[in-house]
Amino acid sequence: MPRPRLVEPDRFWTGWFDLVPAYRLATLRVVLAVITLVFHVPKFNRLIADYTGSSFHVAPAFPWIPVLSPTVGMALMLAQDVAAGGLFLGWAPRLCAWFLAMAGFYVMSLDPEFFAHNAHFHLTLLALIGCSADRLSLRRLLADDDAGARCPAWPERLVGIQLAIVFFYAAVDKILSPSWGLSGATLAAQRLSTRGPAFDRLQRMIESALPRLAGPLSVATIAIEAFVAAAVLVRALRPTGLAVTALFVLYLEFVLKPGGFAWDVLAGLLIFAPAADRRWRVAYDPACQSCRRNRALLSPLDWLRRLGWISLDAAAASEAAGFRLVSPRGRVRRGFHALRALPIVLPGPCLLALIVARFGGGFLAARGYGAWDDLPFFMLGGWLVLWIPGLGRVLGQPVYAGISQTWHNWPEAPRMGSGAEGSARCSHARGICVRDPSA
Amino acid sequence: MADTASFSVRGWRRYAALTFIAVWLAIQVTVPLVQKLGGDPFAPRYRYARYSWAMFSRPVPHFEVSIFRTRGAGDREPVPDIDRVVRGYRSPAPMPMIAIYSSDAEVLDRFTRLVTTLARDRHDGYAYVALIRWTANHPGGADSMEIRADAAP
Repeated sequence: MPRPRLVEPDRFWTGWFDLVPAYRLATLRVVLAVITLVFHVPKFNRLIADYTGSSFHVAPAFPWIPVLSPTVGMALMLAQDVAAGGLFLGWAPRLCAWFLAMAGFYVMSLDPEFFAHNAHFHLTLLALIGCSADRLSLRRLLADDDAGARCPAWPERLVGIQLAIVFFYAAVDKILSPSWGLSGATLAAQRLSTRGPAFDRLQRMIESALPRLAGPLSVATIAIEAFVAAAVLVRALRPTGLAVTALFVLYLEFVLKPGGFAWDVLAGLLIFAPAADRRWRVAYDPACQSCRRNRALLSPLDWLRRLGWISLDAAAASEAAGFRLVSPRGRVRRGFHALRALPIVLPGPCLLALIVARFGGGFLAARGYGAWDDLPFFMLGGWLVLWIPGLGRVLGQPVYAGISQTWHNWPEAPRMGSGAEGSARCSHARGICVRDPSA
Repeated sequence: MADTASFSVRGWRRYAALTFIAVWLAIQVTVPLVQKLGGDPFAPRYRYARYSWAMFSRPVPHFEVSIFRTRGAGDREPVPDIDRVVRGYRSPAPMPMIAIYSSDAEVLDRFTRLVTTLARDRHDGYAYVALIRWTANHPGGADSMEIRADAAP
């Protein structure tokens, strides 16, 4: 029997309408909601306040756009706060995401001065999150231990394609722009943003090196942007492409010019992460107090549902000795080595911590509370330092032992019916370990 | 337990989603292209444009603008209540600004409209002036420009 023609598009789009783990889009939503709360909503609300507090306005981008009155402006500011909160908590997230996207584009259309590329990109991602049917509230993401939530794949495919479009056109623009060229004059003319005092020396070094390196960097920027655009679409290039993308936007953020763009791109990369596979395994003895604490701490942070908790009997537990993490490829990491791998296993909360440090630190520094804008440098730099070869032997193990001992002795809140299990201590409390099941 | 039953995309929802995807991709691909190269496919001409993902591709022009009023050949006087006209503006001291996403024509248009509006609303016989001085990365033309509008007495 001939196959009906209507099936052909079905087959073509099969991947797009497959059900995939909902945790990627939910994690992306939470991270975007935090960026919205700490950066975009305050900025848009300030623009609205300035607009409604002024009697002179230029013509909006489109003549049919209604002008904002002070009353409507107040209501819009309030509604943006509520919607950003709703997006974060996962209450009516689609409605909140679309509202924030529409409100943002409306504000940007009121005055050309209100436009910003990072806001444009952020609002585009919000609109795509508005298409997501993940239905995972923040409470469920944090508190539940299930890994069965599924949603259609097409919104995350669109996020990936959107990333490719943005980087593709950024590369095309630099090729066509008479200002960019191969000389690097535009790059050399960039005014680097001032850092806190701890990084003055680094900034001076970059400023002195930039004019000499501007030419090669100019070409490299075009090449990297074009590569990133291809890499997010071509599966074979993706592992390298994701690493290059992350490094490139971190270079933009930390070396060239801080902004919201890098964080939105890093959040967008979450959709390429594996999820709901429980392939990073943690040895876990239910009778051990430290193991229970490890699980109580790490499970709420495991938004992508990557950690699998493997119960051990007492004999195996004493053999396991310590916090032990087994990677999907079967590589066993213990103690310090397991601890430093956790940000890779738990990218959502770690990215969120960096974002809060970046924007919260900037907020405090701008109000004269000290060099808090250096905080994300220290966090990211501190994590990278942990990967210096040999550090584990020299510094890592003693530091880890101290942390582990403190964690082991931390008083546990009394629980109803905890009984003997609640007071149990075990010999392998001083370690965390991770294993790869394919090994 | 897999939580999937209510999430599969079937029937009209699938066609609606397909339509949305097609429209979304068409807009995301076409709009930046037209913004960058213009609407004529036979005579494409590059220009810097908003909504076209043109990050960092041109040096950001910096300028200073002084807004003040004068009567005859008199000194510069501050424009009263300038902060109510445009929140954050001051007068007559120069204000450093950047045209990060605007062309110089848009900058000139903004301040032309501003001084024209001031002169039209005040009826005090003063001349309202915006003095623009480009300080960095000006694409071409004069380094400074004065825009003046006379208010009726």
